[in-house]
Amino acid sequence: MELEHSFTVPVPEERAWEVLLDVERVAPCMPGATLDSVNGDEIKGRIKVKVGPIQMTYAGTAKFTERDPANHVITLEASGKETRGAGTASASVRSQLEGAGNQTNVVVRTSLNVTGKPAQFGRGVLAEVGGRLIGIFAENLAAMLAAEPAAPAPAADTAEPANTTEPAAPAESAQDQALPIDVLNLSSRAWSSLRQDGIQTLGDLTKRTEQQLRAIENIGPASLADIKSKLADRGLGLAEPGDKSVARVPTVPADVNGSRPAVGRHAVPSETDSDEDLAEVTPLRPARHETVEAPAKRERAAWQPPENEAIDLLGVAGLPVLKRAVPAAAAFVAVLLVLLGVRRRRRNRRR
Amino acid sequence: MIPAKFDYVRPASIEDAVSALASGGDDAKPIAGGQSLLPLLRLRLAYPSLLVDVGALDDLRGVTDTGDHLLIGAGTTHYQLVHDPLIAQHCGLIAEAAATVADPAVRHRGTLGGSIAHADPAGDLPAVVVALDAALIARGPGGEREIAARDFFLDYLTNSLGPGEILTGIRVRKLGTDWGYRYEKFHRTAQAWAIVGVAALVRRSNGQVAEARVGLTNMGSVPIRAASVEAAATGAQASSAALRAAAASAADGTQPPADLHGAPDYRRHLAQVLTGRALKAAAGV
Repeated sequence: MELEHSFTVPVPEERAWEVLLDVERVAPCMPGATLDSVNGDEIKGRIKVKVGPIQMTYAGTAKFTERDPANHVITLEASGKETRGAGTASASVRSQLEGAGNQTNVVVRTSLNVTGKPAQFGRGVLAEVGGRLIGIFAENLAAMLAAEPAAPAPAADTAEPANTTEPAAPAESAQDQALPIDVLNLSSRAWSSLRQDGIQTLGDLTKRTEQQLRAIENIGPASLADIKSKLADRGLGLAEPGDKSVARVPTVPADVNGSRPAVGRHAVPSETDSDEDLAEVTPLRPARHETVEAPAKRERAAWQPPENEAIDLLGVAGLPVLKRAVPAAAAFVAVLLVLLGVRRRRRNRRR
Repeated sequence: MIPAKFDYVRPASIEDAVSALASGGDDAKPIAGGQSLLPLLRLRLAYPSLLVDVGALDDLRGVTDTGDHLLIGAGTTHYQLVHDPLIAQHCGLIAEAAATVADPAVRHRGTLGGSIAHADPAGDLPAVVVALDAALIARGPGGEREIAARDFFLDYLTNSLGPGEILTGIRVRKLGTDWGYRYEKFHRTAQAWAIVGVAALVRRSNGQVAEARVGLTNMGSVPIRAASVEAAATGAQASSAALRAAAASAADGTQPPADLHGAPDYRRHLAQVLTGRALKAAAGV
């Protein structure tokens, strides 16, 4: 599926070129997108798509395959997998910048390929959605650039106007703490293990350290990574060892410079919002200039390859599965008895 | 397939349903017949945190005669629409379209309001209410409001209901005896979605078409009116040739979807042919 969009941003070409290459600033313009890590040219992240009642989340990577400073062409190849299904999506996005005085016209050509349930169901939902997403992205980007001061001084970037205007943030995080762990949508196996250990709310969960969680039966590295990444989505994290209070891991949200466009139309993701809110009150948050200087080094440890929700047989079927295991167990015990018998007989003979 | 976890409430009144929906926030969904939502849940395409079951609310069901208009409850099932004497007498187009929806099992459970609020462009009833210029009545935390059918459908599966609002019914003007109607639907199997559907209403006087209204199903991301056809048909002779000529512009300005069932060009062609048939049948020629 080929899509073409164009939009105009009110900044000179050089400036637009700079901004478009700064993934961490551009990503929040994409409705529903969350950045997990940026490593050189490779970007890992997730995008949540909502169409009426349908929700899809894709996790994957994007890579700059072409940066042509002479012609101002950027090509980004992205591919992702549904986090809760087997569908895949891949896109090749080619942006061409054309300056016209103080304005820049950006033509975005996208070739989108989607497989799996969303592709089959609903007769081409993704064609509709893909086009709309890029449209909103372009609008948000234009709004973000328009809201910026014309002089690209770094000082303007480090200003934090939002700092004082977030009175709701602590209340919101307190609310988050009281939420049941169900909101994380963990695998049923991880969920029931946590519940059995008396962890009912996000507050209970964030009081535990990684080591404590790992000690719980059935919580392995994969579940742990899942829990951490899902907490990170909400701007929360596990407790640090030796820290008795509820500690927030200094996860830095995708939006580092607080210049998220104010006019984000509908799909500006709630995760990003809460991330941002929490970041404003997190004391552990690294200083702004550090992150700006070395964005490539920063990586969220929480990112994991999209975990397929494997069906937890015991969770779903429980007893019947156990029953099936009975003959196998019986056979094992019989073999063990025979072996013991043989050993005893040998010993007796030796005597 | 097993749906993801959700909470379920079954309120006893519309007010309770509205407050339950409002408290559930963005992820709460009303459910009535469940004929569209349940497949989405089972395919794990939708993950609502709360389902508010309005299927048991009798206030939402049934057809009332209010003089010039009919008031049809959102919880009225397709089966009831097909067999209701008031609808048959005053607004037969709804019954005719409802009879083509899926299969009998779905028609017994699926509801008018659900079909409209789901806002599937391939659904049959959205194009019908758009053609009828119906008023859709929504109840929310801020009270009741009416939404014109053509303003209701915003995009693919997206309606203009606000958070906590549910569709409680539709108000349609009674059609006089001089109106003819037809719903033409093209699908490969009996219970399939329309590849293209056309709802046509024609008022005849003295062998001429005095007024025509045409709604198109699945010719874009929302149900649309074929305005150019309506303009061309109005004042035309109620003859086969004239109506076919008027239908030639049925696909103008549409952006039909491409899928396994047909390419956009195929749909444009279908729209012209079906519109011609629907207009002729509605005009009785």
